Amino acid sequence: MEFSQLVQNTMNGLAIGSVYAIFALGYTLVFSILGIINFAHGAVFTLGAYFTYTLVVGQFENNGLLKGINLFPDGSPFSGSALSFGLATLIGAVLAGLVAVLIERLAFRPMRARGADPLLALVSSLGVALVLVNLIQLLVGAEIYNFPSNAYGEVKPALAFQIGDKTVVIRTVQIIIFLVSLVMLAILGYVIGRTKIGKALRAVAENPGTASLLGISVDRFILITFFLSGFLGGLAGTLVGTAFGVAGPYFGVTYGLKGLAVIVLGGLGSIPGAVLGGLVIGLAEAFVPADYSAYKDAVAFALLFVILLVRPQGLLGKAVIQKV
Amino acid sequence: MKPVGYVGALITAALVASASAQKVELPIKIGVALAQTSNTALLGQEQVIGARFAEKYLNARGGINGTPFKLVFQDAAGDENSAINAFQNLINKEKVVGIVGPTLSQQAFAADPIAERARVPVLGPSNTAKGIPQIGDYIARVSAPVAVVAPNAIRQALKLDPKIKKAAVLYAQNDAFSVSETGTFQETAKAQGLTLATVQKFQTTDTDFTTQVTAVLNSDVDLVIISGLAADGGNLVKQLRQLGYKGLIIGGNGLNTSNVFPVCQKFCDGVIIAQAYSPAQPSAANQVFVKDYRAQYKKDPPQFAAQAYAGVQVMVEALKAIDRKKKLSTWDLDDLRVALNKQILVGKYNTPLGPISFDKEGEVNQRDFYVAQIRMKDAKTGSFVYLK
Repeated sequence: MEFSQLVQNTMNGLAIGSVYAIFALGYTLVFSILGIINFAHGAVFTLGAYFTYTLVVGQFENNGLLKGINLFPDGSPFSGSALSFGLATLIGAVLAGLVAVLIERLAFRPMRARGADPLLALVSSLGVALVLVNLIQLLVGAEIYNFPSNAYGEVKPALAFQIGDKTVVIRTVQIIIFLVSLVMLAILGYVIGRTKIGKALRAVAENPGTASLLGISVDRFILITFFLSGFLGGLAGTLVGTAFGVAGPYFGVTYGLKGLAVIVLGGLGSIPGAVLGGLVIGLAEAFVPADYSAYKDAVAFALLFVILLVRPQGLLGKAVIQKV
Repeated sequence: MKPVGYVGALITAALVASASAQKVELPIKIGVALAQTSNTALLGQEQVIGARFAEKYLNARGGINGTPFKLVFQDAAGDENSAINAFQNLINKEKVVGIVGPTLSQQAFAADPIAERARVPVLGPSNTAKGIPQIGDYIARVSAPVAVVAPNAIRQALKLDPKIKKAAVLYAQNDAFSVSETGTFQETAKAQGLTLATVQKFQTTDTDFTTQVTAVLNSDVDLVIISGLAADGGNLVKQLRQLGYKGLIIGGNGLNTSNVFPVCQKFCDGVIIAQAYSPAQPSAANQVFVKDYRAQYKKDPPQFAAQAYAGVQVMVEALKAIDRKKKLSTWDLDDLRVALNKQILVGKYNTPLGPISFDKEGEVNQRDFYVAQIRMKDAKTGSFVYLK
C-alpha cells in the first residue's frame, strides 16, 4: 500500500471510528450500571439526527404526519430563524438524552422494580426501539434527510494535500467529527473520573446495594446514566447525519449493531475499551480495499469474531473469574 | 369408499366448486404493490402518485366502459419479504384481477413467481433488470429494460466531452437492478473505447462512501458511472463532489427521480441520466397527463410516475377490450385473470411513455428514449433538462 493511501485510510478510519466510539460509550455506560444492553440506543441515535436537522432547518419536511409544521412560525420570537448548527446539535443531543430517560422509565425501571430477568429488559428495549423507528417513519416519513450544505458555515468543503503524486483529501466534516468526538471523550472522561457524579456513577456500577447504603440515590443515577447515554447517542447520530445524510428511520439499525460489536470488542462495560473498539473497527473498515468496500461490515464483524476467539473478554475487558 | 372418504370428497368438491365459481366483484380491483416505505420509498412514492393519478383520471373518463375500477394499494417497501407479502395479500385477500408492481427488480424476482403460480397478470412499472419478463407467462413490464436505456447516457456523455478516456464504475451489489445495469454500462463503456480504471461495489444501505470516492480520485478518471438507488446514489454523488471530483457523472435509472435533489443538493448539478420518459414526449396522452400533473403538483411528472400511470392504463385498457366482448361482471375471477394476461400482451397502448406494446414474453416495445442532465435551481429544487 502506498504511503498516501495509508494516510488517507487512517484519516478516514479515525473520523468514523471516533463516532463509533462515542456512540458505543452510550451502550457501555448503561451496561456498566445495569448489566444489560439497551437495544433502543440505535433509535436514539436516529432521533438525535432528526432533532438537530429539524432545528437547523426550522420545519418538518417530506411525507410524515408532521409535514409542513414550522418550528418558528411567523409572529413567534424566533420567526424565520432556524438555529445555528452548533446550538441545534447541543439541543438535539439533550432531547435525545431526555428520550433515553423516558426509555428508562418505560422499558427498564418497571422491569427492575419487579426484579425481572435482565433478558426481559433487553427484549423490552428491543420493543421500544421498534416502536420508536416506526413512530419516526409515521411522523417524518421514510425519506432521506440531508443537512443543508452550509449548515455548519461556508467552510472549505475539503482539505487536500499531496503525498508524492497522490492527493490525500479530508472532508471538513470528518475533521469536525473527529474534534467533537475528542472533546466529548475528554469531557466524559473528566466527568466519570474526576467529579462527584462520576464517583457516584462508578459506585452504583460497582455495587448498587452498597451505593444505596452510602446515601446514593440509585434510581437517580441510573436516570443520569441514561441521559448521558442518550446524549452521546444523539450526538453521534447528528455527526454521522451531517457527514452522510440521515438515511431514513432505519438509519440507526446498522450503527446499533456496529456499536454492539465495538463494546464487545473493546470489553463489555469498559469505557476505554469502547473508545479503543470504536477506533479499531473504524480503522479496520477504512483499510478494506476499495474494490471490496461493500463488504466492510462483514470485515468488522469477522474481526470481532477473531478477537473474541483469542481474547473472549475483549481488548480491555477483565476476564470473569469464578471461585469454586 | 368409507364414509369419511365420501365426506372428504364432498368437501373438496364443494371447495373446488366455490373457488372456481368466484365471480368478479365490482368495482374491479387492480392491485398496486409499490414501495411506500424504506429507502426505496423515494421512488415508490412517485409511483403511487402516478398510479393514483391514473385511477382518478381514467375513472373520471368512464373507467372500464362505464364501470369504475379501484386500485388496492399494498406497501411493498424495499425488500423481498414485503413485496411477497403485498403480492399474497392482493392475490388471496383482495382478489385483484392483476398487479402493478413491485418497485425494484430485486423484489420482482422474489414476488413475481407468486403471481405466476396464481396465474395473476403482473405489470412491472420500474423493473428494468435483465430477465424480468422471463420470470413467467404472466409477467410483463412497461419499463424499458436497462440494456436499451442505459447506453444512451454514455453516448451522450461522450458527445458532451469527446476527450473522456477513463471511467470509474460504481454499483450497489445488493440490488439486482443495479448489478444488471452496471453490466450494460460496463459493456457500453468498453464498446465506446473507454478504459474502466476501477470498478467498485457498495450497498444500497451504505451512507459512507469515503473509501470508494478516495479510490475514484486516485484513479484519475474523467467519467464516473453510478448504478444505485436515489438515497445511496445521491449520497455518493454528493461525497464525490465534496471530495473534489470534477468530471462528468452518469447516474443510472435508480437516480432518475427528483427525490435525488434533496439528497445530493447542489452537487446533483450536471449529473447525466438516461430516461425512458420525457414530459416533452409529444403524444396526446402524455400532453394531457403532463398538463394535469403540473396543475396538481406544480412540477413535471417524473419517469417513475409516468411508468406507474402507464401500468394502470394498460391494465384498464385491456380490461375495456375484454369487457367489450363479455361483460366483466359475468366472468369468474380466475378466468378473467387469464384473459386479462392474454389481452395485455396483444394490445397496443398510447401511454404517456408514447405508443407501447408487448412481445410474446411480456417485454415492452417502446419507441422513444431520452437523456437528461440535472440542473439545480437551489439547494433542493432542480429539473431534468433534456439533451438532444
